Amino acid sequence: MKPPIFIIIMLTVISGTMIVLTTSHWLMVWIGLEMNLLAIIPILMKKHNPRATEAATKYFLTQATASMLLMMGIIINLLHSGQWAMSKNLNPMASAMMTAALAMKLGLAPFHFWVPEVTQGISMSSGLILLTWQKIAPLSVLYQISPTINPDLLLTMATMSIAIGGWGGLNQTQLRKIMAYSSIAHMGWMTAIMAYSPTMMILNLMIYITMTLATFMLFMHNSTTTVSSLSQTWNKTPLVTLLILTLMMSLGGLPPLSGFIPKWMIIQELTKNEMIMMPTLLAMTALLNLYFYMRLTYTTTLTMFPSSNNMKMKWRFEHTKKMIFLPPLIVISTMLLPLTPMLSIL
Amino acid sequence: MLKIIIPTAMLMPMTWMSKPNMIWINSTIYSLLISLISLSYLNQLGDNSLNFSLLFFSDPLSAPLLVLTTWLLPLMLMASQSHLSKETLTRKKLYITMLTTLQLLLIMTFTATELIMFYILFEATLIPTLIIITRWGNQTERLNAGLYFLFYTLMGSLPLLVALLYIQNTTGTLNFLIIQYWAKPISTTWSNIFLWLACMMAFMVKMPLYGLHLWLPKAHVEAPIAGSMVLAAVLLKLGGYGMMRITILLNPTTNQMAYPFMMLSLWGMVMTSSICLRQTDLKSLIAYSSVSHMALVIVAVLIQTPWSYMGATALMIAHGLTSSMLFCLANSNYERVHSRTMILARGLQTILPLMAAWWLLASLANLALPPTINLIGELFVVMASFSWSNMTIILMGTNIIITALYTLYMLITTQRGKHTHHIKNINPSFTRENALMTLHLLPLLLLSLNPKTVLG
Repeated sequence: MKPPIFIIIMLTVISGTMIVLTTSHWLMVWIGLEMNLLAIIPILMKKHNPRATEAATKYFLTQATASMLLMMGIIINLLHSGQWAMSKNLNPMASAMMTAALAMKLGLAPFHFWVPEVTQGISMSSGLILLTWQKIAPLSVLYQISPTINPDLLLTMATMSIAIGGWGGLNQTQLRKIMAYSSIAHMGWMTAIMAYSPTMMILNLMIYITMTLATFMLFMHNSTTTVSSLSQTWNKTPLVTLLILTLMMSLGGLPPLSGFIPKWMIIQELTKNEMIMMPTLLAMTALLNLYFYMRLTYTTTLTMFPSSNNMKMKWRFEHTKKMIFLPPLIVISTMLLPLTPMLSIL
Repeated sequence: MLKIIIPTAMLMPMTWMSKPNMIWINSTIYSLLISLISLSYLNQLGDNSLNFSLLFFSDPLSAPLLVLTTWLLPLMLMASQSHLSKETLTRKKLYITMLTTLQLLLIMTFTATELIMFYILFEATLIPTLIIITRWGNQTERLNAGLYFLFYTLMGSLPLLVALLYIQNTTGTLNFLIIQYWAKPISTTWSNIFLWLACMMAFMVKMPLYGLHLWLPKAHVEAPIAGSMVLAAVLLKLGGYGMMRITILLNPTTNQMAYPFMMLSLWGMVMTSSICLRQTDLKSLIAYSSVSHMALVIVAVLIQTPWSYMGATALMIAHGLTSSMLFCLANSNYERVHSRTMILARGLQTILPLMAAWWLLASLANLALPPTINLIGELFVVMASFSWSNMTIILMGTNIIITALYTLYMLITTQRGKHTHHIKNINPSFTRENALMTLHLLPLLLLSLNPKTVLG
């Protein structure tokens, strides 16, 4: 699309999220989320194929439903508290509705069905924005209402998300769907801790965004969308294979990489709140995630995957996609563990 | 401690910047020098541990294991030279970097004070090992082997993380030096039983315990020689070391909870030794013998008497050296015949007599001949378990006999008898290989002169 239009649309997306982050008026929250939604539709449809149209439509319908549900919650809150300011004491019914609406926006189970299909239908860079930037606004609203949310509701959604993110990703060969299920699982980890320590949710979000940004950029560098074409990375840029190995292990939450920090901190907060079986269950289910990340690293880094000879001769163009900030991102995604005491700045 | 950690970390830049014909020489020599530094830690004060900082300490249990770890790196580098000779330079340097990273993580694991740091480094050792097994192994089964290794260990150790965090919240600290004095006895309620299980299962899988040992033959067989050496010699001992550290927190529940694991270990000893008698694959035989020896260590740790701990420590060091040596010998066979089947390379004594001498000494050490420390370890464990319960002597005695049986079977099959006609063309033993065997054997023999160093 033409650069001026693209700039305007991106500005609208960004300002939509900024409005949600900085406001204290419930109506402005809704307005910001709607701006975000409407402006991101053209971005999802950057490629004009029917698949992208279908994905954008699915995205629009689910998110619009979620916005309406959120509006209903806002109005109920207005009815019971008499004012529009975002405060800590929310009506329980309003809070439940808002939580369900925001879960739908985030792609938490049981509202996760749109995430793989939408992510698969759009291009890599749009998928990148969808899975990282779009999570910021709903999570910030959840952060602000977190004291009043029913913890049972949150934990149920979290456990289901982690389980579905794990099992759903197991049979996938398309990279975008794998990242979609990975996003569902990570959202599950974030909501698990929200009732007890929202700061850890911010930590998880930061590290998740860093890792996902780096991963998507490496996928875009190779112009691959499937696992089997990713396996040709050794031919194009051998260094990227090593980076994919470390990033995948970091996404899976293996020590000593940074992906372990959120898991460790979340399990610590949960055990401090007398929950023992739950973190064990969550951690075990996260191993399913690790399995398909490991499968990716097996095909990419650790073996020379069988493939036909003409697949090996990929066109070796210079990559033209923007890889902003990639080396620092990779360093942050993998080597942050010794700096864990630094998280007191959050 | 930094005087060991920083030189080991610096081995990596040194490898990358060395001239191509100097990479092996440089890394081997400098890692030998580092192991000399670690020998100074064997000089322990009797009543308390040596504390180096808030983060690192070493006591009579971890010092011998530390020395074993640092001693093993030059040996691994020497053993890998031949099978990596055809790789490109970058891959050789990558391999050495993987081994050095693993070494660094292991050094920090054995000397960690905080149990959470121990946990993080314990898990971190999985990544370089996985890369070594999967990337540089030789058969297609190595993919499966790597996955089994990773997931068995992770399934066991995630509950350990939760348990450690729980203990930190209730006890206030996880610093090992404080916990020694602060540990309160825990009663045998259901939740404490789960706590016990959560703490111990990680180490049981790592040791491995008989029912959970499925990853070990796969991983050992598929790994390249350095991977097998480090797995057998050091990584299994991580489990034993961790178990010894964490049982301090878990009394007296251990008295009740230990029964199923004791039974599994005792029976598993005999079962895995018997399986060794029917193995055709040489590396698989040595892998199962590792399971059998480690089962003895599990029994010793679960009994929790001073003698059994001394026996367990001695057995861990002895088994580390012996099993690593056996893997090197099996690898020298593999490099010549390119098959691990035992009967394909028979009667080697007529062709390679010096190697036969090393085979003989390694086999004698494996079957716990006096006065090696293998015998001292096994004897202490057998005596301690006899005093725990008289009936265990039946199984222990059976195990000792079957160990002798399969070790002699291995020795006789590979060395004695008429040689197969196709091994006339094999290379003679390289000096590097003889040096490797000597360096494995010398500590073993010297320790039999002064076993007090490893008795912990």
